[in-house]
Amino acid sequence: MTPAGGTIRTNMRGDVRAWLRRHGYSLASSIGALVRHPMTSVLTIAVLAFALSLPLGLFTALENLRQINRNFERLDSISVFLALEADAAGSRRLASRISSRNDVLAVDPISPEDGMRELAGATGLDSLDLGDVPLPWVLEVAPASGADPAALADALRTLEGVDMVVVDLAWVERLEAILAVFQRLVELLAVLFALAVLFVISNNIRSEIQSRSEEIEVMALVGATAGFIRRPFLYSGLWMGALGGLAAWLLVHAGIALLQAPVRELAAAYGTPAGLDGPPGWLLAAMLAGSGLLGVAGAWIAVSRQLARINP
Amino acid sequence: MIVFEHVAKRYPGGVQALSDVNFELARGEMAFLTGHSGAGKSTLLRLIALLERPSRGQVLFEGRNIGRLSRRQIPRLRRRVGVIFQDHKLLTDRKVLDNVALPLLIAGHPWGEIRRRVRAALDLVGLLDKENMPIPALSGGEQQRVGIARAMVGKPPVLLADEPTGNLDPELSAELMRLFVTLNELGTTVLIATHDLELIKRLGRRTLKLQKGRMVDDRAGERARPEGTAS
Repeated sequence: MTPAGGTIRTNMRGDVRAWLRRHGYSLASSIGALVRHPMTSVLTIAVLAFALSLPLGLFTALENLRQINRNFERLDSISVFLALEADAAGSRRLASRISSRNDVLAVDPISPEDGMRELAGATGLDSLDLGDVPLPWVLEVAPASGADPAALADALRTLEGVDMVVVDLAWVERLEAILAVFQRLVELLAVLFALAVLFVISNNIRSEIQSRSEEIEVMALVGATAGFIRRPFLYSGLWMGALGGLAAWLLVHAGIALLQAPVRELAAAYGTPAGLDGPPGWLLAAMLAGSGLLGVAGAWIAVSRQLARINP
Repeated sequence: MIVFEHVAKRYPGGVQALSDVNFELARGEMAFLTGHSGAGKSTLLRLIALLERPSRGQVLFEGRNIGRLSRRQIPRLRRRVGVIFQDHKLLTDRKVLDNVALPLLIAGHPWGEIRRRVRAALDLVGLLDKENMPIPALSGGEQQRVGIARAMVGKPPVLLADEPTGNLDPELSAELMRLFVTLNELGTTVLIATHDLELIKRLGRRTLKLQKGRMVDDRAGERARPEGTAS
């Protein structure tokens, strides 16, 4: 290594150190600002938390409804009522023929006796005496995923020995449509509240800048770069955004904890052991990063306006 | 070092602060800038530190036309020009030490070096024992000296002072001026705006006089320039 090369390397290392020191100063300065005005900081973070908890809470509710919908979709099968004269062997033959179709996932043949037991169970009666009313063999056909249940039902109707095909999809479709509306609503709210975060933080940083305009001016006068002046405020925006996101997360979790017991009872009444799920983990990371970045953007807008005034 | 060529400054609203100002300040020179208040002294200093841009003409600093500098280049210039403001421009919620350290912090110097240089600067202005005092606890003269320490701590080649003795008693004023002379003898180019004619006369340095925005007088000092300084 030549002496000149050594010098360059030393200088570069010095530059990196100087850069790190300047960043350290900005970081400390931003935390200092948060701590110096604890009330303002807490209030701002609370506003952000409430604003962010609404879309986050709705998103979580939506995810839970989707879960319920998925459970229902498993029941989304086609009931094929065979002719009364069909016997066990014939019914099973037909069942295996249907199950070989590409658009069929599984076929579950239900004998008249099983049907009776199921009916008795569902109505809550120990024994159901329907007298001589005979029950036919029923094939519960589960469509393959991606198959069109309506077309499958039409095909099944044409088979010999089939008396009746019942598809009840209307309510599933309705629920899906409702969920789609709900999802759009959540997206809209997310955009609105993201903008709210941007403005709340921008406004907060603006008043912070006003109360520190003297300091900003002095720093500019003694040779601080725009980046150096801007950085502590960008960090402040980052802290406020990220802390607001974290607080919203905790709020939603608290809400879920409060709702958990009544929802369990409700689900138990319907015979399904369902509870509420919290928002997924990736969303926490996304929210912290997202609201943090919004905070930085808000701060940037606010500081740039002030800087233009000092540096002609 | 500093050259003004046909410089005019007109503020928005039509106030003509400077018109056709020409002068040159050599490296290592010390000069006074006088004139009634409103004559344009502060504006002239502000143009050198690029706190304002000239409306016409050019201001050269170390050979470069600073009116043409981009915003990004302003901080680099300001680190080479130490400015002492009439109203001190100190951070009142910080200690003396932190105020003087600011230019070095901004430049990213190591903390140990900052402490050493801040103490050296405070020693020079006679405030070493007050480094941990908050600014409001200091007298006007002491605050002015903190401003001087801050302006010189980064060792800029040029020092500008706007009415540094504005509201100080004669004894303190004389003391401050001795400080400027010392700094000048150490090689710093010094330009001081003041209307303290008594003081100027006593020091016998070059004196530039502004009147209604025009340079009406440029009188060389009776006293010879200190030896060993390049012009």
